[in-house]
Amino acid sequence: MSAIPTPSVGDELPCLVIEAVDAEKMKTMAALLADSNPIHWDVDTVRELGMGDQPVNQGPNNLGYVMNMLGHWAGGAERIRQIRVRFLDNVFAGDRLEAGGKVTAVGDDGSVDCDVWLARDGTRPVLAGTATLSLV
Amino acid sequence: MTSATQSPTIEELESLVGRQFPGGTYDLEPWRVWLTNDVIGAPQRTDGIAHPMFCYYAAMAGLGISIDEMFTLCYASADDGPMFGECDIQQLRPLEIGATYTVRGEITSAVRKQGERTGTFDIVAFQLEVVAPDGEVSSVVSNSFIFPRRP
Repeated sequence: MSAIPTPSVGDELPCLVIEAVDAEKMKTMAALLADSNPIHWDVDTVRELGMGDQPVNQGPNNLGYVMNMLGHWAGGAERIRQIRVRFLDNVFAGDRLEAGGKVTAVGDDGSVDCDVWLARDGTRPVLAGTATLSLV
Repeated sequence: MTSATQSPTIEELESLVGRQFPGGTYDLEPWRVWLTNDVIGAPQRTDGIAHPMFCYYAAMAGLGISIDEMFTLCYASADDGPMFGECDIQQLRPLEIGATYTVRGEITSAVRKQGERTGTFDIVAFQLEVVAPDGEVSSVVSNSFIFPRRP
């Protein structure tokens, strides 16, 4: 775990890059979650649904990347007290993602509020929301 | 895949509020934690603390019904194209690897909306509590699903 930061409002959180979302890991997650939706592992189904030609990542995986970004910055993901997000778009196998954030408030009690996001190719948001961490 | 379902009346929709899920338990088994961490690129920790995504996984797995059954309860099926709305996770205290958690929860709101481009859709929200073996709530997870409705 990294050291606990001393944040200020407006600070950009260090970006976490996922160079290419791995289709094989979607299969593992489908098995772990007993998720029967074939869009996560059957390319033929994805094509039939007109969603492209790559498997669709599970939404919670995308949230996990954002939590990882916060955990790297905060000195451990257990410091995340609350995270609230909206899923804006699908993520596909092979996509390059960047998870980022920005400090919006710092409390006297060690709490820190942030805007958080996950973007495809660094620009197109696929997930956005807010998070509160405790850095004490 | 099941066929698309008939839209509920507003009374049927609103009657969902307060509906409790059967609930259940979730074992935070080490092998499951390892594989999940590997999938989402999280560090493999040795201090017994689980990744906060397990607040979500435990809640959904311990709900007591499947996602398909949840859709049916909400007068929908996978063929209706339901979508995730919002996800709110409160981690009141970290989940511990090896522990068994109890899950309980209910539907907290069900509203109908009309969008210019999207047409009629319903938003059904539910809240789940993940309770530690000592009886304290470790996590509160609030999710919503969006159900497009046919005219």
